Amino acid sequence: MNAIVTPCILARDTVLTMTMTVELQAPAAAATPQTGRAAWLTRLARPLLGLLLPLSLALGWELLVWAGWSNGRLVPPPSKVFTTIAELARSGELTRHIVATLSRVGIGFGFGVAAGTLLGGICGYWGLARRLVDPTIQALRAIPSIAWVPLFILWLGIFETSKVALIAVGVFFPVYLGLTGAILSVDRKIVEVGRIFRLSGPAMIRRILLPAVLPAYVVSLRVGLGLGWMFVVAAEFMGASEGLGYLLIDGQQLGKPAQIVAAIVIFAIIGKATDWLLEIATAPLLRWQDSFARQSGAA
Amino acid sequence: MLQLASVTKVYPNGVHALERFSAEIQLGEIIAIIGGSGCGKSTLLRAVAGLDRASAGTVTLDGETITAPHAKVGIIFQEPRLLPWLTVADNIGFGLSELPAAERRERVAKALARVGLADKAKVWPRELSGGQAQRVAIARALVAQPEVLLLDEPFSALDAFTRKDLQDHLLDLWADTRPTLVLVTHDVEEAVVLADRVLVMRPHPGRLFEEITINLSRPRDRNAPLFEQFKRHVLTALDRSLDRTVPDMQGRRDAGGGLWW
Repeated sequence: MNAIVTPCILARDTVLTMTMTVELQAPAAAATPQTGRAAWLTRLARPLLGLLLPLSLALGWELLVWAGWSNGRLVPPPSKVFTTIAELARSGELTRHIVATLSRVGIGFGFGVAAGTLLGGICGYWGLARRLVDPTIQALRAIPSIAWVPLFILWLGIFETSKVALIAVGVFFPVYLGLTGAILSVDRKIVEVGRIFRLSGPAMIRRILLPAVLPAYVVSLRVGLGLGWMFVVAAEFMGASEGLGYLLIDGQQLGKPAQIVAAIVIFAIIGKATDWLLEIATAPLLRWQDSFARQSGAA
Repeated sequence: MLQLASVTKVYPNGVHALERFSAEIQLGEIIAIIGGSGCGKSTLLRAVAGLDRASAGTVTLDGETITAPHAKVGIIFQEPRLLPWLTVADNIGFGLSELPAAERRERVAKALARVGLADKAKVWPRELSGGQAQRVAIARALVAQPEVLLLDEPFSALDAFTRKDLQDHLLDLWADTRPTLVLVTHDVEEAVVLADRVLVMRPHPGRLFEEITINLSRPRDRNAPLFEQFKRHVLTALDRSLDRTVPDMQGRRDAGGGLWW
């Protein structure tokens, strides 16, 4: 439990810190209430505050098991979880599983984003395409994606293709929805500025529509990535011989709860890390945004 | 010369926003269009800007019919409408993308200095005050060197002090190249301070009610007795424009066989 919360807080604070360095270029941001050492300490203390609860819970559980009040067989103490991770890492098993899962998520995310962006862009920009295609996509969206599993296995086989396809389906919908919604809600007043300066169709897309939809698009990418991680577990439940999802199933079948918790912890760390990478990669594009996070980061 | 000939606009929902509006505006003239809500002021401006097509009638600039946004026509809206993802300097240079970079930079820098915001070149629009943002919008429109500049209630969202400041500033900028200004406003003082001619419109449907020439030399003293007199004159015309029993100028002109002009 502790490790699930920990990376999440660490990552967010790193982003806020980064945001502040970017902000420093602007003269307005130079005047922060605290300066030097004090500000640095506050910045360091804030994530530590968030660590307090999970760490004390973990420590408490460790002590309870150590004192013999619980045998810790079904809920392994943190020390046992870390031993398991260390063992997996030493044998090279861990790398193999992580690489398998990461590449599935990566490829599925890539296909899902490509399809979602292409169709979302077309349906957002072109009304006729939207009226033709969107109802079908909305109907497909109503199907719980896990319901595709048996069909995908029949169509694409039990190996990688069906797994990647399932992940791609999961990623597709938020990206598609996010992009069409963002295009449709672009401010008409801003578009008029483009018209006044007589932008051609492609120039209008490049200079007005793209930058205007970017913030919402980035959010949809992050939602898509989150769903990608959800679906990789489902995909790896259907007959995988490697991957973090396989570790979960294997741990259940052989009665190794420590291995299950270890896999969950690694899922949390890698999932958060990829989300954080995506956020960093897109942050330079969104520097202009007047967002809440920015204000609270500077305060 | 900007010519409006019987410009009529009927919206798809059947509202007659503008009915047979005609006017001739000389290069370098400052025209204020004033009237109650629903008198078609903004509709008129959007037709001249080429943003909306008129249902009937034509808008011509130097003999060229305007059906789409035109390079010689600029517009400033009620809101600054700056692009939030571009810095102030890039916003001003937005319409100059066809120029070589060096020339664009030079013109942007000059425009920024002219509106007194040289130190804000690299700032994001969100960091500007309302008055500063509107100045950037003015600079963005003027840097394209338009022959006609349309202003749709450009200062109505600003506080009284900033508004007065920007009115004076606008006149100052206008004196540089003397473009034609067509200003839509609901502020009588603003109309009298800025305009050579004030066109008073009446609503339902939007028509021209009365035309008042402001024979005052610039700069105009807002406290002069003559200034007050013109203000009262425009106000009275506005009051009468809302009274449906008084015939409007267009009606009188129609009766006189179109010889009014």
